[in-house]
Parts: sequence; C-alpha cells; structure tokens
Amino acid sequence: MKRRRTGNAQKFTIGMKKKLVVLFVLVLLAFVGLGVRLIFITKNNGEEYERQVLSQQQYDSTTLPFRRGEILDANGTVLAYSEKVYNVILDAKLLLRDQKFVDPTVNALVKEFKLNSGEIRSYLSEHPTSQYYILAKKLSYDEIKNFQDMITPGMDGYDADIQGVWFEPSYIRKYPNGSLACDVIGFTSSDNNGMYGLEEYYNNTLSGTTGREYGYLDEDSNLERTTIPATDGDSIVTTIDGSLQNIVEKHLKEFNDQYANNFRQGNGANNVGCIMMDIHTGDILAMASYPSFDLNNPRDPANLIGMPAVDEKGNKLKGESVFDSGVYITEEMLSEFSDEQLYQNYNALWKNFCISDTYEPGSVAKPFTVATGIESGSITGNEVYNCKGFLNVGGWDIKCHNTYGDGEVSVARGVEISCNVAMMYIAQATGISTFTKFQKDFGFGLKTNVDLAGEARTEGLTYTAANMTPTDLATNSFGQGFNVDMIEMITSFSSLINGGYYYEPHIVKRIVSSSGATIKNIEPRVLRQTISQSTSDKIVEYCNQVVAGAEGTGKTARPAGYMIGGKTGTAQTLPRGNRQYVVSFMGYAPASDPDIAIYVVVDRCNVQYQDDAKFATRIVRAVLTEALPYLNYPMTEELSEKEQAELAELREQMVTTATAEGEETTEEGEGEATEEETRTEEETTESEETGSIWESFDVDSTTGYYIDPNTGNLIDPESGHAFGGDDLPDFGDESIFEPVTEGNGN
Amino acid sequence: MRREREESYIDYSMIFIILFLLAFGLIMLYSTSSYEANLDYGDSAYYFKHQLIPSILGLVGMVVLSYIPYRIYARLAMPIYIAAAALLVAIIPFGKTINGAKRWIIIAGVSIQPAEVAKVAAIIFTATMIIKLKKNLTTLKGFGIALMFPAVLAGMVYIITRNLSSAIIIMGITVVMLFISTPGYRMYIIVAAGVLAFAAALVVIIANSNQTSGMNYRFERVLAWLDPQAHASGKGFQTLQALYAIGSGGIFGKGLGESMQKMGFIPEAQNDMIFSIICEELGLFGAIAVMLMFLLLIWRLMVVANNAPDMFGALLVIGVMGHIAIQVILNIAVVTNTIPNTGITLPFISYGGSAVIIQLAEIGIALNVARNIGRD
Repeated sequence: MKRRRTGNAQKFTIGMKKKLVVLFVLVLLAFVGLGVRLIFITKNNGEEYERQVLSQQQYDSTTLPFRRGEILDANGTVLAYSEKVYNVILDAKLLLRDQKFVDPTVNALVKEFKLNSGEIRSYLSEHPTSQYYILAKKLSYDEIKNFQDMITPGMDGYDADIQGVWFEPSYIRKYPNGSLACDVIGFTSSDNNGMYGLEEYYNNTLSGTTGREYGYLDEDSNLERTTIPATDGDSIVTTIDGSLQNIVEKHLKEFNDQYANNFRQGNGANNVGCIMMDIHTGDILAMASYPSFDLNNPRDPANLIGMPAVDEKGNKLKGESVFDSGVYITEEMLSEFSDEQLYQNYNALWKNFCISDTYEPGSVAKPFTVATGIESGSITGNEVYNCKGFLNVGGWDIKCHNTYGDGEVSVARGVEISCNVAMMYIAQATGISTFTKFQKDFGFGLKTNVDLAGEARTEGLTYTAANMTPTDLATNSFGQGFNVDMIEMITSFSSLINGGYYYEPHIVKRIVSSSGATIKNIEPRVLRQTISQSTSDKIVEYCNQVVAGAEGTGKTARPAGYMIGGKTGTAQTLPRGNRQYVVSFMGYAPASDPDIAIYVVVDRCNVQYQDDAKFATRIVRAVLTEALPYLNYPMTEELSEKEQAELAELREQMVTTATAEGEETTEEGEGEATEEETRTEEETTESEETGSIWESFDVDSTTGYYIDPNTGNLIDPESGHAFGGDDLPDFGDESIFEPVTEGNGN
Repeated sequence: MRREREESYIDYSMIFIILFLLAFGLIMLYSTSSYEANLDYGDSAYYFKHQLIPSILGLVGMVVLSYIPYRIYARLAMPIYIAAAALLVAIIPFGKTINGAKRWIIIAGVSIQPAEVAKVAAIIFTATMIIKLKKNLTTLKGFGIALMFPAVLAGMVYIITRNLSSAIIIMGITVVMLFISTPGYRMYIIVAAGVLAFAAALVVIIANSNQTSGMNYRFERVLAWLDPQAHASGKGFQTLQALYAIGSGGIFGKGLGESMQKMGFIPEAQNDMIFSIICEELGLFGAIAVMLMFLLLIWRLMVVANNAPDMFGALLVIGVMGHIAIQVILNIAVVTNTIPNTGITLPFISYGGSAVIIQLAEIGIALNVARNIGRD
C-alpha cells in the first residue's frame, strides 16, 4: 500500500484497525461471558433442570386406579362392590390447536353430557392452556359410551374433529343392599379408604395396587413407555348369611317401630343389638344393631333422629333427671348442630353396637357362675340353697329379683328362675381367685380379636383377684359390677354349650383374588378349653329349663315349633336407682343339640318400666321363628293353634308385622305360669291362684302389675320382681367402672 | 482505474468454517426438527429439505459473489437500498402470513424475507455513505446523515413486519460500522451507557408495573425474562424449556439425536432455539465448540477487514462481521435468558432459507474483498 490511490479509495487507517481490534475484543468478551453463563446454567441448575426435563416426559404418565375387592356373604351374595366410573376431562390446549375442533367438540359434549355450552366456551377462552379440567364426574360406562365411540377411530360415529376430551377412570363403592349389615360392612371414604367394619379392618386386603402408565429412560437414555397395570383388590367372603341378617334386621326394626316414641320421644331403645353365631366354628352368622343407616349414603341426618345425643367423647349426654335415658335427637336439635356435633353423632350411629359398646351383662352371666362352680369342683350341681329374697354380703343386703324369697333353690332352679341368692352362694363357694381366673378364661376383660374394626377394649372393666371384695364377688355372680360387650358374651357362651371350646369369633371365612382364586381360607380356631364336656352338658341342661321349665324366665323366647335354651338378663345401669336397664336374652338352638347361639341386647327400652327381659326374648322368638325353618332345622315341638296360624301368616307374607301381636296372644294362651303347683304343666290357663305373696296385693290398673303396699313399687306378676326397686347397693366411689355403658369404641 | 493481475488470495480457513457451520447446521436442524416435522408433515426431513436447497443456492451465490468485484457495490448502493425498501413496502399488499407474522413475500414461487435483504442493503449503503462523507462523518450532521438512511430502513422493517429484532440488527450493523469509521470512544461509551441506563430504567418500570396496565406482549417478554418460572405457561415457556435443555445436557450432552426437549417442549426449536438443542445433545462441549467456530469466523473477517485493499472493502467486511457477531451473541443471549426473548436466529444453523442465502451472500462479498488483499 505504498501508492496512494485516487478517487474514493480511502485507506483503512491504523486508528480504524485499532478500533476493529477493540470491537473484536468486545465480541470475544461477549462470547466468553455467554460461555461462562452456559457453564453456570449447567453447573448450578443442571440436575434440577434435568429432573424437570425427565418429569415433563412423564407428563403423560397416568395412574391407573385399582378396583376394590368385593364383600360377599356366605352364599355369594354381593354386599359391597366397586363400579368403574369416568370423569370427563377437558384438555383445552389440545382442543384449541385448531378452531375447527371447537364447535364439534362443544356440541358433542352438550349433546351427550347435558353440559352448558356457554360455560365450556368461557372456560376455553379464559384458560386456553389448561390441560385438565373436570367437566363431569362419576359417569357410568353407559353414559359415556356414545362419546367414547365418537373419539375412537374406527367406531360408528367417529368424528376426527372432536378433540381434547378424554375419560379418567375411577371407582365408586356401591352397596346393593343399602343398609343391610351396615355396622358390619362399614363404608369407604371418597378416596377409597375403608371406614368402620370390614371395610376398615380388611382395608389392605380389599385395596389393590394403583397401576401406572409412564415413560422411562433405558440404559441408552432412550425414552420408553410402559404400563404397569393396576392390581385389583382381593374380595372377602364373610360368614354372614344375608337371609339371616335380613331376618334379624327386620325384627330389630319392628321392635323399634313398636316402641319408638312410646314413653319418650326417640327410638324404641337406645340401642338394640343381635348376634347369631355358629357355636362349632365361631362364625358370625348375623350381626346387627338398630339404628342403622344406608351405606350408600351414610351421612343422612334423618338416621340420627331418635338417637341419644353424644358429646365429643362419644358419651351420651345426660338428661335433666337421673331417670332420663338420654337426650334424644330431634329435627330441631339437628338443625342447631354444628358440624362437629353432627360428626360426633354420626360416629355414634356408624359404630357397631355389638362390638363397641360395653355394659353390665346382668343375669346372662349366671350360667358362667354355675359353670365356674362346677368346673372348679366347688359345687357338684346338687346343692340346694335357701333364698330369703336377699343375702347379706359384706354388710350389704343384696336382694334377689323376688324380694320375698324363692325358698329352696337348687342350682338348676337358680338358673331357671334367675335367683341371685343362689348365685351368690355358688360364687362364695368358688372363691375370689378361682372366680376371677375363670372370668379371664371366659374372655371377660379381653378382646376377642374379632375381625372387625372398632372392638371395645374391656381390659380393666373386670376385677382381678387382688381388687375384688366379697361384695364384688357377690354382684359379679349375677352379672353386675363388671362390663362386657356383646361379642365377648356370645363367644364365651358358645364355649359353655359346645363342650368348652372357645373359638376365636370371626366374620370372614375366605379371601378370594380378583380372578376368583381362593387366596386364604380362614379356618375356625380354638383358642382354649374353658370347661369340660360334662360341665357343658350340665349348663345346657340348666339353660334348657330357662325356656322349657315351668318357672323359666325365658319362656317367651321359645319360637313356634322348636325348643331352645338360654338365659335372660336384666341388668341395672349406673348410677344405681336410675330406673334404666339393659335387658337381654342369650340362647341357643336346638335345645337338644345346640348349633347356633343368639344374643339380643336391648339397651334402655323406650318404656316406663324397662326391667323386663321380655323386650329381648320377644325379639329372639321372632327371629328364631323365621330363622330356624330357614336353616332347615326340623320342628320338634307340637304347634298350638295360635302358633300354626302365626306360621301360616308368616309364610304368607314373609314380612311379619304381626309377630309382636301374635306374641301377646300366645303369651296369654300359655299363661304366666309361676306357681309351684303348675310346674308340671306346659299349657295352663291364666293363673289366678294366690300362691305367691305378691298376688294378694292390689293390681295396678294400667299395667296389670301388683302394687307393693309397703313401697308402692310395681311387682311383676310372673317373677315377683319389684320394678323400680333399688336392688343393688350403689357402691359409689368404690366403683372401678365407667359410669356409662357406651363410648368405649368409636 | 488501472488494474494489475496478481495472484489472488483465497481465505480457505473462512470457507472451511462456513462449510463446517452449514453442514453442522443441517445435521442439527434435522436432529431438532425431525420429530415435529414427522408429526406435522409426515416427513421427518421436511425442514431439512427446505433448508438444504437454500443452502446449496446460497453456496453457489457465495462463489459467484466472491468473483464479482466489490467496488461495484459503491455504485449500486442507492439502487440496492431502493430495491430493499421497495421489497419491504411490497409486503403490505403482497405479503404472506406465516405463523401469524406477515414477513414474507413470494416471488416466482420462492418466499423471501425482505428484512434479510434490508440487512445487506444497510451494510452496502452505510459503507458507501461513509466513503462519500469522508471527513464530514465526524460532524454531527454527517454522522446523522449516515445514521439516517439505515434508520429509515430499520424503521420500515419494524413498522411493516413488526420484526423488532431485524430492525435492531440493522441499526447494530450501522452503529458498528460507524464506530470503526469515526475516531474516538467517548461518544460511543456515553451513548452505550445511556442506552443501557434507559433499558435498565425501562426494565425496572415494567417489573414494577401492574400486570394488567395495558402491557403489550413485548413487555410481558421482559417480565418473563426476569422470572421465567412465573410465566412458565406464557411467554416464559420457551425460555424456560430452553434452559431446561441446556441444563440437562451436562458437559458432553445426551448424544446427537437424543434430545427430549425437541419432542414438542421447545416450540419452533429449529428456529431461534436450536442452540439449546445443541447444548442438550452435545453438551457444553458442543456448544462451546460452535461458539469457537463463530469466533474463528469473526476473527477471520477481522483479519480480512484489516488487510482490505481499501476502506470500502474493509467496511463491507466489518458490516458482515458485525451482522454475524450481533446475531450470534443475541441468539445465545436469548437462549441462555441473558436478555429478553427477541426472536433472533443463529446464522447458518437456524432454519430459514432467506437468511442463509443472504448470510452466504455476505460471506461471498467478504471473500471477494479477501481475494483483493495484496492488490492495489
């Protein structure tokens, strides 16, 4: 560049070259800066971003719901099942890829699912990038079938312009029989978790495993898609016999209808429970309580009306007077309930009375006292005691039902007429240490481990040898002073009559996979021998007399055409003298060779005078009258004309609302044979003889009971038992028991 | 003007770099676009084919231009400028809308992006103006005139095609050329500082403004730049996905063709965001290698400019160098979320027929300048 050029050929000067180098350096610096930035992004956020990338890849990954297992009864009837339903999901982003998709899709949605076109369109315009919006919930397959065809290529009605809608499957729980066995089955929450009963206890068995459809990276980091199918839950086959359960529930309902709003506003009783059990296996054949609820709609406040209201701990609210059995829920109360109060009371409704509530059993404990005495060798069974109407123990005069005394009472007669004094003598002969040891053997104070959620914990509700006084021993002998629950009693009672084998009670006999293969058979399990065969035979003999004997307290429990055995119970509650009673009957059939046990408990019947075991025995009779023919037991007893008429009526309608009335007439026909003179006769006329002291008293015109001139108490013409009389000493601060009969479970 | 025949200089290293970048670009383009192309057109090579033809045409054009004496552009400056302006104006009646933007016109079945033509026109015209103005350039008036013509072109690009990034590039090229041509740094530093301060103030105002207060979409881009996570479903989506791609690539990447982000996560990945896929598949190593290639290219252009036989040739090469440098820097800055998303393509690699032809043509001019090195 030595020669200077003419014209426009200017030279690129040194200064410019310098500036160009400066420019290059600036560019270089920019590159370095960007390079550093790249390195920082990779170094600082690399892992996080890599996870993001991988998680985005799984955007398509979906969970596949499992089907919860079914609950079946012993005959295969479905008690609970899960139905597949579909949510309709809108993917706005997918739909809005092309405006031509919008109209056909929205029109099809409106037509098939009765959706509001305006709402869908406004959602689309407001959320154009949304990919998940639930348009409709829980539709059945039939409801979505047409639309499914429209979006499935190759199907009739397929329309390629319908885009951005898909179906998300899920399951809902259904109970085809509504309220049948509601306390036993339980229900599920919306997220498919079991609540109460079998649904809760067997939740893990019934639940399957959620499946997944997802993408993953193979060892070469290639994206692969795979599906792990959901594993459906296992089904459980229960020992419940749906027909028996139906019979039981029908009669509990009838009982309630008969006594509801009778003496007070409210249900027929605070609680009524019934358990039927196969005594040779521990299978629970039926288990029910009233009030019940519809499993498909457990949160129906109408079911609460008439129930005693409970506080936050589940304890019954106390009435104004000590004689009030509770505060009963009315519609007005319901409307004033807070959500919490509502739930407390729902919990009281949902819990299973048969396993969750504890109470003092009363006289149904007497066979246990006798069995203890005989098995331990403390008595032979041939003893005869003298009942003066009371026995003084530890400074207390503890009365008998018949406060006027039954005279000479053998062991057998003690059970038959339910003599407290005889039992106290037997217990005294047995002694505290043996008595408490046998109570443990019978399972009192121990959980039975029945396979249901919510069994009450009864530990501490019985005495130990260390803290039992002679007075406690005396009251325990006839079933007062310690608490049990129904399942404990019937399980133990089964062992008394089956030869002494204490079976673990259970309600599920088989677990079946979703494909129908049996996974597990739950065999009857003998836990221990409580008494010997010979003792058991004697107990059966004594208990048969309760129903068959002339003086038997449980005659009204005998179903038409059959002979059964059992024991009645009328238990006082705390505080003593509150005129509130838990009455029960615990029996078995057939009398000659027992197979099934039945136990009915009526907690505070809705009548003025609650202490009458007939409230329970009538239910037993009504249930067994239908149940025994159903179970194919041949009739062994002659039928009276009235019974024949009753059975004919029963066969005719199979829904017997007339049972209770028939009961009354039958009673009259059989008569209340309590006199010694009529002991040999089965059928007698109405007793007008004056063999008992109380029969010389005036008769109360409204109830037909005698009136004790000294106390003014009403006296049962059958047993001489004084109603409202304060039989038991109130031990007050000595009591180790909770003052309520409910509230131990949930 | 007398001319002596001397042996011509051919910048082989620059040619090699260009061929490498083109080939690499085509490979990456295929890798990036095949998934989407297959989905949208049923042909995984759709974008590849549509880029291959302009690339070959561009190479031919480059070779041809490398033989055309560059001094001829001094005389053609005004016609080229007018032609570029006319093409831009022609968009208004004849423009074709692609992806919602009216930036293309179709001439004889070939779609052309006039904004790309305007970039070349700006380079040639500014170089000519600088030569014409000589010493007058140092005056405010002369400087203003030199700045005005490209500014008019940039304004047309922005107003007609709503393409801010092309307008910025045109102005950037002009400023780079003027920076070299005029002595002194003070004014540039002051202006640069002023622009930066203005931009910073704008960003602060936008960042504190209410979401609803009449923001146009570019403002939202600024907000998305400041916090891409918060705008992940809107303007920040592309940027965020690009960052994910870069971060997940690691040092050596997932391997060629193994990108996951290209599977629909980065929209239009073959355009502005192709660098993020390079990062994901080839890692930091590949990304820095590509940046080094561009740096080498810019260095070669600087060497050519410094050795150019005259100032006009030098200015042409500087214009080309500025063009490429600005696009590469801005593109990578966008991909790494260093600046707000503007939509600038990566030269020779991003998809775009007009762009690759124009860029190769510019290299052809630079090669011709190089050919004249040592001749007087």
